[in-house]
Amino acid sequence: MTQSEPKLAGVGAAGTAGGGRSLWGRLLTSEVYQALSAVLFKTQRRQFWLLASFPLFWVFFAHLGPILRMFWISFLDAYPPSVGQTPELTLANWTKFFEEAIFVMPYFRTLGFALVLTVSTLVITYPVAYFLAKHVRRNRQLLFLLILLIPFWVGEIVRTYAIMILLGNNGAVNLILKSLGLVDRPIPFMYTSFSLSVGIIYLTSLYMLLPLYSALEKIPNNYLEAAADLGAGSWTRFRRVTLPLSKEGIASGCTLVFLISTGYYATPVLLGGPSTTVFSETIAGFFYVAGDQWPVGAAFASIMLITTLSAAAIFLKLMGRSGPGMLR
Amino acid sequence: MTRHTRILMSVIYWAFIVYLFVPLVLMVMMGFKDSKFIGFPIRGWTLEWYTGIFQDAEVLSVFAYSMTIAIASTALSLAIGTWVACFLGPNRFRGKLIVFALTCLPAVIPGIISAISLRIYARALDIEPGMLAIILGHTVHNVPFVALVVMARLATLPPSHIEAARDLGADSIVAFFRVTLPYLIPALVGAGIFCMLLSFDDFVRSFFLGSYEPTLPVLIFAMLRSGMSPEINAISAVVLVLTAVLGLWAERSMRRLNRGS
Amino acid sequence: MTEAAAKTEVTAGETIVHLERITKRFGAVTAIDDLDMRIRAGEFITFLGPSGCGKSTTLRILGGFETPDEGRVVIDGEDVTARPPNRRDVNMVFQDYALFPHMSVARNIAFGLELKGRSKAEIVEQTDALLDFLQLTGLKDRMPDQLSGGQRQRVALARALAPDPKLLLLDEPLGALDAKLRGQVQVELKQIQKRTGKTFFFVTHDQEEALTMSDRIVVMNNGRVEQDGTPEELYFHPQSRFVAEFIGETNLIEGIARGGDNGSLVIDWNGVDLHGTVQGPMPDSGASVTAALRLESVVCHAAKPANGRALAGRVVSRIFKGSRTTLDIRIGEEDGAVVRAYMDAGEAEGIAQDQLWVSWDSSRLSVLRD
Repeated sequence: MTQSEPKLAGVGAAGTAGGGRSLWGRLLTSEVYQALSAVLFKTQRRQFWLLASFPLFWVFFAHLGPILRMFWISFLDAYPPSVGQTPELTLANWTKFFEEAIFVMPYFRTLGFALVLTVSTLVITYPVAYFLAKHVRRNRQLLFLLILLIPFWVGEIVRTYAIMILLGNNGAVNLILKSLGLVDRPIPFMYTSFSLSVGIIYLTSLYMLLPLYSALEKIPNNYLEAAADLGAGSWTRFRRVTLPLSKEGIASGCTLVFLISTGYYATPVLLGGPSTTVFSETIAGFFYVAGDQWPVGAAFASIMLITTLSAAAIFLKLMGRSGPGMLR
Repeated sequence: MTRHTRILMSVIYWAFIVYLFVPLVLMVMMGFKDSKFIGFPIRGWTLEWYTGIFQDAEVLSVFAYSMTIAIASTALSLAIGTWVACFLGPNRFRGKLIVFALTCLPAVIPGIISAISLRIYARALDIEPGMLAIILGHTVHNVPFVALVVMARLATLPPSHIEAARDLGADSIVAFFRVTLPYLIPALVGAGIFCMLLSFDDFVRSFFLGSYEPTLPVLIFAMLRSGMSPEINAISAVVLVLTAVLGLWAERSMRRLNRGS
Repeated sequence: MTEAAAKTEVTAGETIVHLERITKRFGAVTAIDDLDMRIRAGEFITFLGPSGCGKSTTLRILGGFETPDEGRVVIDGEDVTARPPNRRDVNMVFQDYALFPHMSVARNIAFGLELKGRSKAEIVEQTDALLDFLQLTGLKDRMPDQLSGGQRQRVALARALAPDPKLLLLDEPLGALDAKLRGQVQVELKQIQKRTGKTFFFVTHDQEEALTMSDRIVVMNNGRVEQDGTPEELYFHPQSRFVAEFIGETNLIEGIARGGDNGSLVIDWNGVDLHGTVQGPMPDSGASVTAALRLESVVCHAAKPANGRALAGRVVSRIFKGSRTTLDIRIGEEDGAVVRAYMDAGEAEGIAQDQLWVSWDSSRLSVLRD
């Protein structure tokens, strides 16, 4: 080892005067920044609060704020208040819900729909997810998954329209049925609970499929082999091994689909008819028609929010999941 | 698993693929139909509808409007979501679970309620319905997705990298910009494209927060209410191709992220 | 050329770091319990101990990543206890090297200089000098994921040396290397330390690593210093049972103190009188004591030596270990104590199974304080 020793010392202050210094170096050596940094980062605690301040403000102000505001409006007798009048607190907006069938019916219809659609989506996508996770070779799974993802990125409106074309009186399904001679006149699929269901399952199925897939994919194949080795038939294996181990995926998939399917507005408007009015249409009506109905709309939206979130929470509790897994 | 169930499942899988794709394919096809009337059978074909929308000033301006909203809300979501993630990810404090739940809140609220509450809130804050309201509304909705993706990526950053930067003379801010941020880039690209898609495709928030100037999904909705036409098919098909391309790109950058670490 | 090359402001041998009565607790656990330690400029000091002994916490306190609950950290005459890592003249080589994955080797090394606001020309000059010094010149433009473990370790070292720190911290930097490479890197690291004249603060749980490289070893256990001395002192004269058992393989001889003087103690060991050395206070006569005796200090004789100062015994087991053989020798009668000895494999063959004599230099029998 005869090469020269590095000059590890003796550069000192003289070297800092030269040009061509990096932006960050100049920033860190500037006196103003140093003074600022000394004040800002004086203690760990101060640094923590500096980092925390904006996120805390944001989640309380922008995430929670709108919901709280909605609750607040729902207790006012008029909103926006007329000039010179102070709004008074009232429960009338909430009690109005129970007074008329045209409000209560869509509410229960929505919940019923959401429930049935969640179960149907689960039944439809479970074999798909299982096939993907267990029967497709691992290096091709991503490709197969990607194929499924493409329609998923397309928005609500475009996909709803696609279903309209499929199910219309002159749609593809009726065309096929007619040309096969199965029907003389087109079956009126559209504007029924059938078309609405097809549409919503079309929109939500991937929210179910992805959690199911990732849960199933995690089950080691040797568990199933071990179960088979112990004499379990395929039905027993499914019921005793696969199903319990995919519980987490079922739970989050069902929750997602339930919450999302209750929230659609354009799809029921476009695919549904008078007999399938859902609660989101009812709520929207109060904001569309006249401004002074906002408190009622807010009350109804609150009712729906409380119902759906508690239904989801109860469901997750029953499935034995306490909190988001990410935080542990 | 017996052979029968296996075959059955593969049939179900392919049937499902057909269910997903056929409506979209039919929609694109219908845009080529040489008739004002939507429906089968298709007797003549034309490119007119597709070329038409590119000459339609209204459609183009609506497209630009939607794009502006998507870009602006994505930029905001990325900045805010990253900040939230950098706070929530590494720090331990009391009430963390509550802050985390609040962070996810806008992503789990049913769409209509989210739109209504944002409409009310915009009123309370004196924000007129229109572009700003939509941008902010989309930002609120997208921040949870960015925060979750960034938190997942952040969890794989060894703490020693930040410590090394600090050790070599960086304060917290410089360490963030020189070490943390470059590490997050692939996650931010993926999350950003995903936000663009969410914003560009969003109907319910844009509908309730918008003024008379519609976004593209709102325009399609309005056109649909007055009747189907091949022009809508053409617009939808363009949106479809655009989203599929963006989505594939996002997917690719997220996948690279998994491989890179 | 070794001494003159690197000149720090402090002359070698003077105290450059003083850890003043440091205590650090994590919840109910006391990680460091009242540690008072001076580190001299230019020395290679190693903190050795099992995981959780407080060695890493000490290192992190020096680096500024932890703040002590009590006590002060004084570096080169300045109290830096409350200063963050970026405002200390201390740099660190991390256990996982922590090379920035998005920067080339040269950019990694230049990072500290850049943030110090040095000019581009100067950064290039210094970086090139370090690349050359650590034989990394050809790897300059590689990214960290294109380097081998040993190369990464050298880049991390170069990066930490670049800002010319007063103290270099090394957090088990050889743990990630394979065993064969580790021995080679140990020698290199010691050479680099000598030639730069830097003060190295090394942390490890590997006693061999510590013995090979250090000028001084501090053995820690449960947040306290067990012993502080040169590698030779620690090896041949362990002061506590913990040190004796942690470093190398050793015979523990249990007997009764029978008095003595000048640091020499007579121990009654099953009726045989042995002479051992005492470092600290002399144990009371009649107290039971333990003394440590290294395996290689035990000398075996095929025939009774001329001076007659040897103990008769017989081999009860013999384990072939390649270059050496371990012998378990029972001293005296059927119920006598067993002493273990190392021998050259060749010599061991010449030793008869049932009759041999063992002896040792009495200065190698170290009486422990516990």
